[in-house]
Amino acid sequence: MDDVISPRRLMTKRETADRVFRGGVRASGTVVLLIMSFVGIFLLLRAWEALQVSGFSFFTTQAWEPDSGNFGIAAVIVGTVLIALVAVSIALPLSLGTALYISDYAPIRLRKTLITLVDLMAAVPSVVFGLWGVFFLQEKIVPVAQWLSTVLGWIPLFRVDGVDPRDPLASATVYTSSTFIAGIVVAMMITPIMTSIMREVFMQAPLGEREGALALGSTRFGMIRSVVLPYGAGGIVGGTMLGLGRALGETIAVYMIISPVFVIQPHVLANGTNSVSALIALRYGEATQMGMSALMAAGLALFLLTLVVNFAASSIVARSRSGAST
Amino acid sequence: MSDYPSRHKARFPERVGRGTPNFMSALLAFIVVALTSVSAAPASQAATYVPISGAGSSWSANAIDQWRRNVEQYGMRVNYASTGSSDGRNQFKAGTIDFASTEIPYGLKDGGVVDTPPSRGYAYMPIVAGGTAFMYNLRIGGQQVTNLRLSGDVLTKVFTGVITMWNDPAIAADNPALSLPARKIVPVVRSDGSGSTAQFTTWMASQHASLWDSYCQSAGRSTPCGVTSNYPTVAGKGFVAQPNSQGVAGYVAQRANEGTITYVEYSYALKTGYPVAKILNKAGYYVEPTASNVAVALLSAKINTQKGTAAYLTQDLSGVFASTDQRTYPLSSYSYIVVPTNSQNGFTTAKGATLGAFSYYFLCEGQQQAEALGYSPLPINLVKAGLEQVRQIPGVEAKSIDIKDCNNPTFSSDGTNTLAKKAPMPSECDKKGVTQCNTGTGGAKQSTTSTKKTTSDGKSTQTGGKTTTGDDSTSGTTDSGTTGTDQPGNEDGSGDTGDGVTPGDEFTDDGLAPDGFVSDSQTSSYGAAVAANYGGGPIVCEPDTGVCTNVVAEPMTLESAGSQGPSSGAWIAMAVIVIGVLTPALTTALSPGKRRGAKAS
Repeated sequence: MDDVISPRRLMTKRETADRVFRGGVRASGTVVLLIMSFVGIFLLLRAWEALQVSGFSFFTTQAWEPDSGNFGIAAVIVGTVLIALVAVSIALPLSLGTALYISDYAPIRLRKTLITLVDLMAAVPSVVFGLWGVFFLQEKIVPVAQWLSTVLGWIPLFRVDGVDPRDPLASATVYTSSTFIAGIVVAMMITPIMTSIMREVFMQAPLGEREGALALGSTRFGMIRSVVLPYGAGGIVGGTMLGLGRALGETIAVYMIISPVFVIQPHVLANGTNSVSALIALRYGEATQMGMSALMAAGLALFLLTLVVNFAASSIVARSRSGAST
Repeated sequence: MSDYPSRHKARFPERVGRGTPNFMSALLAFIVVALTSVSAAPASQAATYVPISGAGSSWSANAIDQWRRNVEQYGMRVNYASTGSSDGRNQFKAGTIDFASTEIPYGLKDGGVVDTPPSRGYAYMPIVAGGTAFMYNLRIGGQQVTNLRLSGDVLTKVFTGVITMWNDPAIAADNPALSLPARKIVPVVRSDGSGSTAQFTTWMASQHASLWDSYCQSAGRSTPCGVTSNYPTVAGKGFVAQPNSQGVAGYVAQRANEGTITYVEYSYALKTGYPVAKILNKAGYYVEPTASNVAVALLSAKINTQKGTAAYLTQDLSGVFASTDQRTYPLSSYSYIVVPTNSQNGFTTAKGATLGAFSYYFLCEGQQQAEALGYSPLPINLVKAGLEQVRQIPGVEAKSIDIKDCNNPTFSSDGTNTLAKKAPMPSECDKKGVTQCNTGTGGAKQSTTSTKKTTSDGKSTQTGGKTTTGDDSTSGTTDSGTTGTDQPGNEDGSGDTGDGVTPGDEFTDDGLAPDGFVSDSQTSSYGAAVAANYGGGPIVCEPDTGVCTNVVAEPMTLESAGSQGPSSGAWIAMAVIVIGVLTPALTTALSPGKRRGAKAS
């Protein structure tokens, strides 16, 4: 039996160029992983001092007075998530529509221009978005916020305390510097990346299936519903999650707009909110050693949150049909 | 100095006339200037200077920014980030910057933590004086209020959430001529660690300790609260917190944000074209933080004269708060920079040379512009002391400056403070009582027509009414923004005007204008305003009493951030951009070749 000829062993003989290239690529991949873990380790080390002081109350305390040991991320993390959710709920329909228009409706020759324009939007620095938000948008959006709170005020999310709609002298300030406005500005910043990802995936929807749907008498909308969207579901989720990740970490534009408060502020239209990254930007310059450590702890929490979001996204995306491509 | 101007002008044409008004363009201009100066950095000047960088106070940032633009012509690059005093002090401590600007010294206890002094050698140097002003945005029946008056007690109650409505009887008592609206007061405070907050809370802690402490307590701080750089906020009180002086001033200056009031250096009110509240002093007069009123107030400041100690030259303002001069603005203070005294943390002697030369500039010549910028020039003793401090900077090219050549408006031959001595007495209508002046304040010089019939004893003049700021594109001219305040026959009284240099004085003002200001007019819009101001500051005189009030500082920019009307040039630029973007798109869309259509059919 031993003499039975075993199959010939297949060997790959790699040339030098191939080996070097493989090495380089592998190294880049490893470095990215290493950097990520080092960021995590660095944050953990620097945050340790603060975490020891606060213990578990770090997750339940709303105040931020690190020097007196009374600090926690309950308020800031809720603010961060709310801003990101507002941003995503605005950016999602916007980028979905843009992506579908580019992939399925726009004349082919216009496509290129549109793609460039959307990418150009991604190149606008966030401080410019912040300036725009503070000095232009805020003023214009207040009536919208006012209307929303009047009409939808019965939903706790849209309620604004301290407002009497019958008072003609009510100050508009209660609607400024809010989660809502910060969310809109962040939405403008995450729309391009979400659009690009969705468009890429939509354009890959198999031509045969598209033509099949059309041949069976489907309208273009019907074709999109039955072919493009199911195929691109992974791209939609993936793009949204990527956008969410960016929205969670957006700093300077949020920093410029919000009026930081250290209580959980569930009313998105009301003045005052907070975000982890804006808090860090605001306080790192003047922080004492303890304050710095507390800021690092907040950063660590945000880091972990983003990690969870991204892993969740990738697991969802992996299950979808277009998964491999996103 | 006079050799440079023409060359300089040619070299930096893009900066001429820059600086239309609002913060946005100012910031953008700053970015552009920063970018251009990288490429256009003067190559070979007489002395080659190493760039230095500083950070800190936004309270004094308007002055520092003006000075550093002025010294660019000598080849000095001074980078400055107005990130707040606390940040400046911390960065200096950490050694990441070459100098810091701050209102309060190291070593103060804030929120239970002592701000430890840096281990590197350092010294304080006063740079400019000024008043922490209370800029507000309030309208009555559509007309902007520009003559609000507040007593210290009311002011503290506003900023501690005790008084919440503008029509509160206590505010009405301060303002007999105004029928204030039933509108909420929205105090706007700083969200970052700030010297302005420190100055304001120093005053509150010293003058109205019980109110301040009870507020602090409700915000979860331990009492006695004392001075703090981080303004405590209580959720639900309707306070708004914004980062930086630009942030709070920009917030108040948004047209829609009616009912807001904030504390910020006087220059920001001038810059945004908004009024400031006149504050009641111990003599019973409501005064504005003009340069002369600040100078008078600071005559009572106690300066630390223990040479050799770290706290040398720092200020004790309790005397200012208590000063009984009628002209005193109670919230006056000096601002400082912290300079290194030895070479550590990357501070080289080459950098010291730049910092030294820059210090010489602002201690001497720079003080001339303080007034027009919304600050008050340093008095002679502090300039002298500052000039001595400069010698401690390692690598400085020590100069012996003849102080008389500085043309500082406060100097006199007999050692008294000319600016303070010549400061006009407040008008009688500014006295606590039933009358109230209707002249404008801060950057909003238009008067407020009385909203009550009872008061206004026919004083003061202009019924210019609403000269809404912002529609005036000629911000460089003398009269802009002060419609109607220049009355004939006042020009000869210019001994009292903003120039500060009195004709009969020992120093003539020869050479002041050509030297000091020509350079400005090339660099920025402030320069234009300064130059215009020099031509004879407008004076407001009461026809009845003959008391002339010196409208010392011109609004540097005349636009309310609320109404940003782009100029025609901006519209053209916008059109160009839109056309540039849309043309390719349209041409492709309109050109034949409907492949999509063909496919669909």
